[in-house]
This record gives sequence, C-alpha cells and structure tokens, in this order.
Amino acid sequence: MLITPDVEKPVTPAPPHPRRRRRLGGGETVTGWTLVSPAVILIGIFGLLPVLMSLQLSFQHSDLLTPETPWVGFDNYRKMADDPVFLEAIKHTIVYTALFVPGTMLVGLLVAAALNRSVRFISLYRTAAYITMAVSTISQGIIFLWLTDRDYGLVNAALNAIGAPSQPFLASPSQAMYVIVAMTIWGWTGFSVIVYLAALQGVPAELHEAAAIDGAKPFTRFRTITVPLLGPANLFLLVWLTINALQLFDEVYATTRGGPLRATTVIVYYLWDQAFVHFDAGYAAAMAYALFVVILVITGVQFRLTRRFGGTS
Amino acid sequence: MIRRRLCIALLAVLALVLAACGGGGSSSGPTEIAVWHGYQDTEGEVFKKLIAQYNQDHPDVKVNELYSSNDLVLQKVLTAVRGGSAPDVAYMFGSWSPNIAQIPQVVDMAEYVSEPDWQWDDFYPAEREAATVGEKIVGVPALVDNLAIVYNKQLFAEAGVAPPSPDWTWADFRAAAAKLTDPAKGQYGWLIPADGSEDTVWHYLPMLWEAGGDILSPDNSTAVFNSEAGVEALTVLQQMAVTDKSLYLDTTNENGPKLMNSGKVAMLVTGPWDLSQLPDIDYDVQVMPTFAGSPGGHQTIAGPDNWVMFDNGDAKKQAAVDFVKWLSAPEQVKTFSLGTGDLPIRQSVGNDQAVLDTLNENVPGTATFVENLNNVEKVRPTVEQYPDISDALGQAIVAVMLGKEQPADALNKAAQAADAALAEK
Repeated sequence: MLITPDVEKPVTPAPPHPRRRRRLGGGETVTGWTLVSPAVILIGIFGLLPVLMSLQLSFQHSDLLTPETPWVGFDNYRKMADDPVFLEAIKHTIVYTALFVPGTMLVGLLVAAALNRSVRFISLYRTAAYITMAVSTISQGIIFLWLTDRDYGLVNAALNAIGAPSQPFLASPSQAMYVIVAMTIWGWTGFSVIVYLAALQGVPAELHEAAAIDGAKPFTRFRTITVPLLGPANLFLLVWLTINALQLFDEVYATTRGGPLRATTVIVYYLWDQAFVHFDAGYAAAMAYALFVVILVITGVQFRLTRRFGGTS
Repeated sequence: MIRRRLCIALLAVLALVLAACGGGGSSSGPTEIAVWHGYQDTEGEVFKKLIAQYNQDHPDVKVNELYSSNDLVLQKVLTAVRGGSAPDVAYMFGSWSPNIAQIPQVVDMAEYVSEPDWQWDDFYPAEREAATVGEKIVGVPALVDNLAIVYNKQLFAEAGVAPPSPDWTWADFRAAAAKLTDPAKGQYGWLIPADGSEDTVWHYLPMLWEAGGDILSPDNSTAVFNSEAGVEALTVLQQMAVTDKSLYLDTTNENGPKLMNSGKVAMLVTGPWDLSQLPDIDYDVQVMPTFAGSPGGHQTIAGPDNWVMFDNGDAKKQAAVDFVKWLSAPEQVKTFSLGTGDLPIRQSVGNDQAVLDTLNENVPGTATFVENLNNVEKVRPTVEQYPDISDALGQAIVAVMLGKEQPADALNKAAQAADAALAEK
C-alpha cells in the first residue's frame, strides 16, 4: 500500500554537506553504484514498485480474491465524491490535523524551553520528556483506553474528586476525537521537544546577553530572539507532523476502530476498512492516491509560505 | 564498458536478493504440506502433538504447521495466493466463506465429503452451512462455538436475584440486569461489545431470530431485519442501554472478560472461549432468554470456522485433503476437544456423555455450551456482501444504544444501505 502508517519517527536531519565539486571518475561511478545498489534495489522492489502497482490498482476493480482485475478508468476516483463516509472521513482528518499539529508544536516548544537550561538532573528530565516516543502505539492506546474509561478510569476519578461529572470520552461520538488528539499530542511531544531543544541550543548566547544588557526582560528576549531563530525547526515540524497527522491510523485502530458511530473514522482507517474488510482494494488505492496528492500539495504550500514569511533560514 | 560492469554488478546483487527470497524447492521424499493455524498455548500444544502423530503414522507426508493470527490470516493468505505460494491448508473464519469461495485456488470439497467415510452429516448443521456457498463446499469444520449467558453467581446472590433459568424471557433478563446494576460500585448487569463491528452484530442476531425475524429474505435478495421482530429485539437493547443504564457499552471489545472477572459485570453473553479468563469468580452458564409469545424459542448463533484447502498441485492437494479428513475424524475431534476444552465439532462426540462430563469437569459450563449447539437454528447468510450488511446493521445498533436514534428508523436506514449493497453485484 502507498501509505505505511507505522512510519518511523526520524531524528532531525543533519545540515546538508557542502556539495562536492569534483566529478567522479568512471571507475568510481561503478564502485559507487555497486555500493548503493543493494539499498536501491531493495527500495525499488519493496518501496517504489508497490507504489506504482497501487497506482495501477486505483484504476482497476479488485476484490483481492479473484485474479480478474478489470480496468474501470476513473470510477474509483469518481466514487469518492459520492461516498458520504469518505467525505466524513476527510472532515475528521482535517479536524484532527488542525488540532494535533499546532498542539504538538506548542506543547513541545514550552517543554523544550523549560528543559533548555542547566539544572541538576537535566538529562533525567529530558529523557522523561522523550520517553513517550518509546511507548508503542498499541500500548499507548490501551493505556488511554483505561485512563479514560467511563466507569473505571483515573481521569474520571479525578473529575469526580473535584465534583465534576464523569465523561464517556472514547465511548462518545462527540468526545472521542478530542481524546485521540490529546493522546497523540502526548505521544508526539517528545519528538517536537527534541527538535526544538536542538534548535534552542543553536540560539547564540551572545544575542541574549546583549539584549539583557539593553534591558530586555526574559519573555521579551524569548519572543524577539528565540522564536524568530526557530524558523527551520518550525518548518520541519509543521511538515512532518502534518504528513503524519493526515496518515493517522494506528491510534484509531488501537482505541476506537473508527467509532463510535464513525466519529473517528479518518481517511487511512477508512481505506484500510474498504480494502481488507469490504474487499474493495481498487477504491482503497484510489483514496490512498487522493491523499498522496493532498499531502504533496499541502507540503508544497507549507514550504512556500514558510520561505516567504518564516523569516530567517 | 562501464555500463556493462555496472549491469553485472547490479545483476549479482539482484541474484543475491532473489536467492535470499527463494529457498525450498521440490525434491523427492515425503510430500510436504503447509498448514496455517492460529492455535497458541494449550491449543497449540495439543495441535502440534496431533500433527507429530500424523507425521509419524504417514512417512510419505510431512505436515508443517505455521502459526498465523486468525484475525489476519485472510490478508496473509490473499497475499500468498497472489504471490503463488499459498498454504495447502489454512484456518479461516466461517464468516469469510462467501469471499473465500471466489478464490480460484480454493479446493471445492463437495465431491470429497460426499463419500460416506467422511461422515459429513455428523458435523453440526450450522458448521456444514457455514462451509457451503451455493454449490461449493469451501472448507471442513475446524471449530464451533455459540453464545450463551455466563453469569456471576455471587453477584446474583448479593442482589437477591434468582439466577437465570431456561424459562427466562428477555423481560426477566432486563429486570435482573437492572437490579444487578449499581452505579455507586461501578457495577453493571450486562456488557455488550459496542464498536459496531460483526462482534456487536452477532450479539444482536440471536435476539432477532428469537423474536421471529431474519436478516435477509429467503432468496437473499433484500434485507428484512427492519421487521417488527427486528425492532422488538433492538428495543430491548435500547431500554437496557438508554433507559435502565444497566448495559455497559464496551467500545473496545476487549474489556468484557476483564470486567466480568473483576466482578464489575454480572452477565456476559459470550462463548466458551471466555470461560478460561474467569478464574477469580464463581460463574455458571445458561442458554439465552426467549421473547414471550414468539415462536422463535431459544436460539443462539454459532461461529463455525473452517480448514480451507488450496490447490498447489495434485500431490499436495491430495495430501492436504487426507490430513484434514484425519484431523476432523471423530477420534481426533475427541482428543482435541478433551485436550483443549474446545467444543467438539462432531455431533457423535458432542452427544457422548463421558466427553461432556470430562469437559465440564475441566472447565465448568462447557457442557451447557455443547448442549446449546442444538439451539443453533439459523446461520448468517453466505453472501459476499455480508461485510456491508454487517457494517450497516452494526452502526444502527450502536446508534440506538447510544441514544442517538430510534430502533425503527435506524433499522430502516440500515436496511436501505444493505439493499443497495445487495443490488450492486
């Protein structure tokens, strides 16, 4: 399938090496290709080829069972426009992305700012901030299921202790999506903390000292010096988190299975459901490609906007 | 020159990759067949012992077993079939039969099982129906279970409620559940899986049948679950979930046995597989209640699963068929059932009082489940659109239980969706 929901969370990319000017000689070309060929071939077979095959699949009718896969042109793509559940899934995906991406960036920035200092046990705190990334999605889902359980959950016990009524959370069509947003922000905060922490440490101390001598208060210094210098980190997180948010699957599968009443059915969950529960693989592939185009466009726009307004990089 | 050297280098790497992917290959010696199954723990051990015994008694055949999670086996088998490396035998859920029937490599067992030494009629009727799609028989029964009430005796005694009896109507069931519900203790009378999947749907279906309704018309052309009977059955769920709040809606489908075992839920409608997860409570098992005045009587739903065979050439096909025939013969059925506590898949074994006594001694309540197999009167329709029908019905049931919709409206809407799906193919 085009989209692998279980994308590995990468570390911050290293700054690009200065481009090598000297052209490689002929012998070195062969050696170079030979060295990279295992990776290239493997990526070709297991990465590129399936991507192209699913493009083909999106123009066919396939139930995965029978060998006949008749060509149906753009039928699968047209079907999307008339599918109320798919339109609902788009809405849910947008709501989720609009809450998850800024939420994760904001929480991550605040935590990173708090951790960007030298106090005792700082490594311990930093590890604690990152450790949520090491929790598998399924375990995370089960933990939150029980934490937010309507009758036996800790969250409701805490609410009751301060006199507030119990909430159904994941069992309620109107609340489930917000619980998933909160859960995934919790899970991804460690990632944005690492990125922001690296960026914060790249902010020259002299600038802060100079501003302090000029009488700038800590908050003013943070706003006028630190934040503008975080441009590249912001762009990276914005793009990366958006791509991941649009591909939300594991967390939904582990907690609500798209429910209650499809309230958490997002695009990738729905296409999985169409392919492997309803045996409509062609339609699922078409949805995956539609999502691919959307991600491509959004990422392009984000790059462009950030280059124009994002300041300093 | 450089090009050619590059090509050779690439080819060498490709050859290495392919060699790593390949392996195996045909040679003389015993015919090897691959059996994919989802047995773990006790079931896994008993199953492996049976295979070892078969391999010892049949030196010309080597059965290789491979564990594969039941929930995911269809996806894996589909991939394997496409890749030309299908297993010879795979354990498949009975609800997949209509879809499996379309895979060309699946062996049609109709001509085999008509031979008298298969004793095909000895399998329970629900098992045979779940393996039959039109003229084809796509598999041989591997497992059967059914739903009944499992209840916590202590909670009933504490609440002063008489335990479930075979005379219970759904009104009695509802009244008891209400008395067994105590919000202060976080205790509920009943729990139902409520994710809207087939797990939700198959809890509703016996109620629908008992009320005198059915899922589809006899020719499988239209949905008829939005009948008066369908509304009556769904209204019980509505009253318990919305009015009485005696029904815990388990949106995860995972909490049932855990909450039951910790005494938070007084009754579960479930199958024999959950009994081993209730070590901390004193439970008993009773058949499902009836609807007063309905001719439906006691019913339940069976979830029979099958061994499905794939054609990988005549020799392997014959070896696979022979193995499954041996595996599902009364003697092996008895061994497996006694070893694992699973219900016997053959009537001759299920009616054997000595087997029942031993089963019940090992896991109390199992005998009731075996006897309850006789209450299986109907099965889910074996049509390839069943996943769509189940989906529509599941959403309707959940909408009603969450108090979002009225039973008649919800069922009518679901019936429309089901009709559309049925008309499509």
